[in-house]
Amino acid sequence: MIKTKNITKRVTTSEGELQILQPISFDVKAGESVAIVGASGSGKSTLLSLLAGLDQVSDGEIFLDGAGLHDMDEEQRARLRGDKVGFIFQSFMLVQSLTALENIMLPAEIAGMDNPQKRAQDILDMVGLAHRGQHYPNQLSGGEQQRVAIARAFITNPQILFADEPTGNLDAKNSEKIEDLLFKLNQESNTTLVLVTHDNELAQRCQRQLQMHAGELTEITENATDTMHKQAV
Amino acid sequence: MNTTFSLAWRLFKHEARRGELTIILFAIVLSVAAVLSLSLFSERLQAALTDRTAQFLAADRTLYSDDPIDPAWLSKAEAMGLAHAHQVSTRSMAFGEQQMSLTDLRAVNLDYPLKGAVKVAPEPFATASETSELPQIGEAWIDSRLFQLLDVRLGDSIEIGDANFSVARVLGEIPDAGFSVFATDPIVLIRQEDVEATNVIGPGSRVNFKYYFAGDSSALNAYYDWLEPQLDDEIHNWRSVEDDDSPIGRSVGRAEQYFLLASLLAIILAAVSIAVAAQRYSQRHYDPVAIMKTLGASRQMVQRIYLLQITFITLLGIVIGAALGVAIQQVVVWAIADQVDVSMDMWHWRPLIIAVFTGTVCAVLFSLYPLLKLFTVPPLRVLRRDLGAGLSSRMIQFLAAGSAIFLLMWAYSQNLKISAILFVSGIVLVASLLVVTHGLIALGRKLGQGRMGPWQLAWARIRRRALDNSVQLISFSVTIMLLLVVLVMRNDMIKQWRDQLPEGTPNYFLINITETQKPQLQQHFAKNDVESDKFYPVVRGRFVAINDERIRTNVTKEDEEDSNEGRQGLGREANLTWSLELQDQNVVVEGEWLTAWQPGQPYPVSVEKEAAQRMDIKLGDVLTFNIGSEVVSTTVTSLRDVNWQTMQPNFFFVLHPEAMKAFSPTYITSFHLAEERKPEITALMQPFASVTLFDVDARINQLRDVVEQVSMAVEFILVLVLAAGSLVLIAQVQASMDERQQELAILRTLGAKGTLIRLSVIYEFLIVGIVAGLMAALTNELSLYLLQSQVFQMNGSLHPEYWLIAPAVGAVIVGVLGALGCWRLLKLNTSQLLRQMV
Ligand SMILES: Nc1ncnc2c1ncn2[C@@H]1O[C@H](COP(=O)(O)OP(=O)(O)O)[C@@H](O)[C@H]1O
Ligand SMILES: [Mg+2]
Repeated sequence: MIKTKNITKRVTTSEGELQILQPISFDVKAGESVAIVGASGSGKSTLLSLLAGLDQVSDGEIFLDGAGLHDMDEEQRARLRGDKVGFIFQSFMLVQSLTALENIMLPAEIAGMDNPQKRAQDILDMVGLAHRGQHYPNQLSGGEQQRVAIARAFITNPQILFADEPTGNLDAKNSEKIEDLLFKLNQESNTTLVLVTHDNELAQRCQRQLQMHAGELTEITENATDTMHKQAV
Repeated sequence: MNTTFSLAWRLFKHEARRGELTIILFAIVLSVAAVLSLSLFSERLQAALTDRTAQFLAADRTLYSDDPIDPAWLSKAEAMGLAHAHQVSTRSMAFGEQQMSLTDLRAVNLDYPLKGAVKVAPEPFATASETSELPQIGEAWIDSRLFQLLDVRLGDSIEIGDANFSVARVLGEIPDAGFSVFATDPIVLIRQEDVEATNVIGPGSRVNFKYYFAGDSSALNAYYDWLEPQLDDEIHNWRSVEDDDSPIGRSVGRAEQYFLLASLLAIILAAVSIAVAAQRYSQRHYDPVAIMKTLGASRQMVQRIYLLQITFITLLGIVIGAALGVAIQQVVVWAIADQVDVSMDMWHWRPLIIAVFTGTVCAVLFSLYPLLKLFTVPPLRVLRRDLGAGLSSRMIQFLAAGSAIFLLMWAYSQNLKISAILFVSGIVLVASLLVVTHGLIALGRKLGQGRMGPWQLAWARIRRRALDNSVQLISFSVTIMLLLVVLVMRNDMIKQWRDQLPEGTPNYFLINITETQKPQLQQHFAKNDVESDKFYPVVRGRFVAINDERIRTNVTKEDEEDSNEGRQGLGREANLTWSLELQDQNVVVEGEWLTAWQPGQPYPVSVEKEAAQRMDIKLGDVLTFNIGSEVVSTTVTSLRDVNWQTMQPNFFFVLHPEAMKAFSPTYITSFHLAEERKPEITALMQPFASVTLFDVDARINQLRDVVEQVSMAVEFILVLVLAAGSLVLIAQVQASMDERQQELAILRTLGAKGTLIRLSVIYEFLIVGIVAGLMAALTNELSLYLLQSQVFQMNGSLHPEYWLIAPAVGAVIVGVLGALGCWRLLKLNTSQLLRQMV
């Protein structure tokens, strides 16, 4: 589902050029769930943004379901994201001036699917917020907002789901609920999942764990070493 | 497209309901409402004032002619829906039992006057009141003076030419008598049907035919367009209310200019507030745009959504603004209904069109840049929260905004001068503000060092945001500057108007006082506790030649009817006076005053500037006058600027006393008699039957009335602009408060004390307020000077008091508003703040 070849990310700052990611190569199979763990600032989100086509690689190649992200412009990547990708963020990223239901409808509408409202209502039921559809994000608790975000991520039946610290802003109890929901939906729809977290317990629930350390990625799951081509630096 | 529309509509609906559009909507509503109410009000006022002025013409337009005009011209006027009236006038002798006098004979038809009213008094010099009647055939209504001059009473008969008239009423006033108080002959009003019998109109007599027209201005203009090609400059003279050069005309003209200025300022205010609001609106939508892009929305889709949103907002803003504007204007009109007679029955479309146009143009042009910026927000912002928009060329923004404002002003005012002046002042303000902000940054770096107290925090924040928020500082300063311009302009203008007619302005003039009567009169007045003005010696002279060139006696035919006092007589006879003292409100603008004369040189004369211009008289020209049988030659040694707006005798020619030693003059003087002493006037003048008395109270009151009304109107316009400006200031503070929210939350979480934060915010606003106020006060001087000298024909002056007041008021207002906003923010607890941040 995802293939990366020697992708790197450099940015220019006022202090000069900064290499955030060392060359990284790895693959993710369809239906697989992968956790990327690592200290804050190690480059996890940066990697995620490249994999999801939110940002452009400095070098290297990324294929998402066969499409070469590194060759695409922002418009093409947007289309691809709309078609195949779902997102969940630490800070939920709901549109504050749309209701929960409308937030869920949003990707379906953008993708031009029919009956977005019906779909959204169904999925809202699934995440257990059927009666909160008309509420605005700021009328919902953090956990509820993230559930809305999860519903929004799944409405387009994405082939791959990216989650950046989905429980980072939540307390333990809510975190667990969210995790359960996420994995449940993931299994039901057989979506590929790439999840960034610094919560080891959450990482353990994924089939594979990758460790990010100062821009370098290492595989830490024993059973899947074969998919990881470690890169000599 | 359908999805885009429904998405845009949904966003708009929710945001409107949740009050998230308040600020930008408010800005558009404000701009439309302010422009609409101001221009609607000023249009109505102008109509009212023009109507008022029309009363001094007795019509909206008049056509003077040396010959009777083609009757077809009148039928045409009728066909075009215009009312018309006519008058034949000439100077003619009138005879009483024993006495005779030259009179200004006016024969009118029954439709006279089309505007204003004829006033009659129960007895000579008594207070006159309006009448709708006109003299019957065979009747003459005569001026109070003429009763004195001819020694007649009501019911007596007088003779004019070959006809006899019965003196039926005391003529107090006719609308188009003119403002001239000297050298006019007493008016006799008769009916046109009687003219023929007098035989005063014949070959050789100077007769004026005057035609009055009234109707709505489009019909009047159309008529003039039709008429103009047929007019002969030598014979005809067309006048409209706008040509009115009398004190009233000038006051009204100046007021109109002021209204225009105020409306222009409203437009700029509107533009500034929309610019601020649009910037903020755009910033608030960085997240939704990033989210939509992340979820796969194309650039085009995002653009459409937001263009639609802006369209919805603009439409809503225009609807609310228009309703509000009409309401405000209505309230103001009701409020001043007692003072100013503003007609409500006419609906003026122009202001509405202007307001809608302004609202649209401002909304589009000033949200364009923030929107373009918004479109560039990268989707990556969903992960990297600090990512903003990519586009940043402030210069382009300033350029676009500047030219938009300029074009709007120009299009609206069609007055390049005013627009350019305001624009240039604006540019100077912005440029100096940029310099000052850099200075502040440098200063702040010094002051901001050391322990983190509230001052340090305030300076640090200003430094960090100074450039970012220069837009904010600029908008504060521009707003304050505009408010100062309207305020100070109004003060200066009203002061000048009031100065023109101070309490105790002479309301009676005396002429024909002989040398022997002069001391007697002075004594008599002193005894009766009446204070008389200076006595001006006058000799009538015929102005016959400039250098060797003889002048036609009727050089200044049109001036015959000109309303500036003293100007009459320029054609045939001039009032010559002499004095070594330069009169009040006279300024020598060229050459040297008479005192520079040395015996042995040719006699000097000082000539009024405008008259000199008209007759092409230069310094050094030799002017020849016939006085009685004598010939006096004088050399022009100075040109004077004369303030014609004062109620004092003014003269075209002032000679050296030495030149006039041989002539025995009569004297002119004036005095003020309080309203309650008016009945004494007949008794007071009893011993001086040969002295001619002019009662100019009516004229003064008319002038005062108009000045009062105009001042009142100006006052209201000022209040409207001030209100609009204050609202803009509030909106600006509010907007910048929101931007501080995040910072406050962080400070709060870091454990900063409430007082520290509050003080630092207040100090920050104080500093911004002081700087904005000071800069505004300084640039205000520039624009005021330019406006007053270039547009309002006033003498510009400095206003140092505002250099202190403006920064102080700026600091207080901006500081208080900032403190209030801050207090609201600090009331929220930290988690609420943080919640609002994300
Ligand atoms: N555009 C950029 N400019 C400068 N520094 C960046 C940029 N993007 C990322 N970084 C830096 O790269 C490092 C990795 O960031 P990130 O991927 O957000 O880490 P993580 O998600 O693991 O906490 C951080 O130190 C971050 O500050
Ligand atoms: Mg991260």
